[in-house]
Amino acid sequence: MKKFSQLAWPYLIWVILMILLPMLLILFYAFTNSGNGIINFSFTLEHFIKFFTDQDFLLVLWRSLEIAIKTTIICVLLGYPIGYFIARSSDKMRNFWVLVITLPMWINMLVRTYAWIGILSDGGIAQSFLGLFGLGDTELLYTEGSVLLGMVYNFLPFMILQINTALCKMDKSLLEASHDLGANRFQTFWRVTFPLSLSGVVSGITLVFLPAVSSFFIPKLLGGGSYFLIGNVIENQFITVGEWNFGSAISMIMAVIMMVCMYAIRKIDERNAGRGKEKA
Amino acid sequence: MKKLLASFLAAATVISMTGCSSNSGEGKPYAGQELHLYNWGEYMGENLISDFEDLTGATVVVDYFDSNEAMYIRVANGEPYDILVPSDYMIERLLQEDLLQPLDKSKLNCMDLLVEGVKGLPYDPNNDYSVPYFWGTVGIVYDKTKVSEEDLQREGFNIFLDTKYKGDIYLYDSERDSFMMALKALGYSMNTSDPNELNEAYEWLLQCVETMDPEIVTDEIIDNMAQGRKALGLVYSGDATYIMSENENMGYFIPESGTNLWSDAMVIPKNAANPDLAHEFINYVSSYDGAMDNSSFVGYTSANQQVMDELANGDFAGINAYLPRTGNPNDEVFKYDEETRKTISDLFSRVKIAASNA
Repeated sequence: MKKFSQLAWPYLIWVILMILLPMLLILFYAFTNSGNGIINFSFTLEHFIKFFTDQDFLLVLWRSLEIAIKTTIICVLLGYPIGYFIARSSDKMRNFWVLVITLPMWINMLVRTYAWIGILSDGGIAQSFLGLFGLGDTELLYTEGSVLLGMVYNFLPFMILQINTALCKMDKSLLEASHDLGANRFQTFWRVTFPLSLSGVVSGITLVFLPAVSSFFIPKLLGGGSYFLIGNVIENQFITVGEWNFGSAISMIMAVIMMVCMYAIRKIDERNAGRGKEKA
Repeated sequence: MKKLLASFLAAATVISMTGCSSNSGEGKPYAGQELHLYNWGEYMGENLISDFEDLTGATVVVDYFDSNEAMYIRVANGEPYDILVPSDYMIERLLQEDLLQPLDKSKLNCMDLLVEGVKGLPYDPNNDYSVPYFWGTVGIVYDKTKVSEEDLQREGFNIFLDTKYKGDIYLYDSERDSFMMALKALGYSMNTSDPNELNEAYEWLLQCVETMDPEIVTDEIIDNMAQGRKALGLVYSGDATYIMSENENMGYFIPESGTNLWSDAMVIPKNAANPDLAHEFINYVSSYDGAMDNSSFVGYTSANQQVMDELANGDFAGINAYLPRTGNPNDEVFKYDEETRKTISDLFSRVKIAASNA
């Protein structure tokens, strides 16, 4: 055992250097206003006050949450049937489908999102296709719809895989028992399968919602300059405005919001798991 | 000036272009050496790098950036490049922060070849640090079949508030250029630091995004205007040159109220590893061959006098965007001021937030 714990050292150093230290730096920047220096600084809450008293920023925050929630709902609605279908297919087919779902993820997200620009742009494939139905003038790129599409497209695989895993882990004899006890297929699904797959849905939600809230390159590429989310505000503060302190403060606010979300999701998951045990 | 599309992908990627003949480069003056170049995406002629490698035997490693600010961050963090090609105001900033080294003029043989108008600009009055690369103006590219010249003459940049063209305009996603447009439309200096004037410009832009339903884009504007998708757009003259050479219905107009006379120039950072080779590169880019390759391919105005004259009467004859306007007292060179930049950045992000709500 002792040997084993020594093996953990490199990971600990890694965690400190790559996760803890940057977080502490962000925390430090968020509460100071010394430009970008470490030597002269004074603590302040100014950046937080600035954020929460500014209607514009709050609006952007709200819009980011809204689109992340929409993305998550669509991902659940699309991801569940697909995950269910994959879990129910034969072993060989299941591996095939999982490969199909993960295949696009071998390509960098940024590149795939660029591909959507080509597809959705004026005169692109999608518009030409709509043209067949006389809808050729529909603006597709740089709308809320295109951003939503980009998000769903990029995050859906996470949802599918989580749900699929949860369904696969399920004990199939429970289904037989349910049928033996006279439940029809719908009842079996609703009373047995669905509750048991909820843990997958919950972790899928975590994997979709959190990156969707803070995504900045999808709105930047597919929303054009006129679709600004909180991730873009943070990026903008760092890259163009040069206000690292304010940018860090917004990042902190986002981190807190995400932690609250994760906590809430875990609570739901635990309660759900608890209920499962009771029944068993 | 900004070439987002290609460069965003390449922003973090090092594309190494190795010359085919560089291994047979024995006896060439810089055989085996490396030049690290940091330039805008889509900003070089097709053969520029390979020709330079053939000539010197050196290998050129190119990184691309899509905004001066992105470039600044990497350079300020100590990334060692031999050559950068920033814009005027950014050179001013790099100089203020002591990040550039003076050029060794004894190693430069190109200064006499350059256009007088683009030498000795305020950011570097004696060209002690920079040698111009491309230059030009910012103006309105318009579809002659949809927009009357009269409206343009009468309204200038205010045409972007004319609801006759609602939903038919492109804005350029750059805080500097947007504020330049607004300030010039209001008749102010684009280098103002007066908070009231900046605020008026902010209101002007707000009105634009709220009533005109513009698309705020970057380099998509080039292809889209070349295909005549919208009636009006704010562009750099070099992009207008390309658009006009692709589509004869397109025109380029600079309002009398003035515009931004910009230039991008080559500079050598303080921490450059190979300044000698960097000087050599500056010489080559400014020479007739290098400049011709660059300007004829990219469409931006060459800083080399002979190349500019030949292209203005040759490839780009009849395209008014290629020859930058000179002599209008309202045209200005962008100056760098830290406080104003922050104000403008902040206000422009609010303009974009407003645009998302419109």
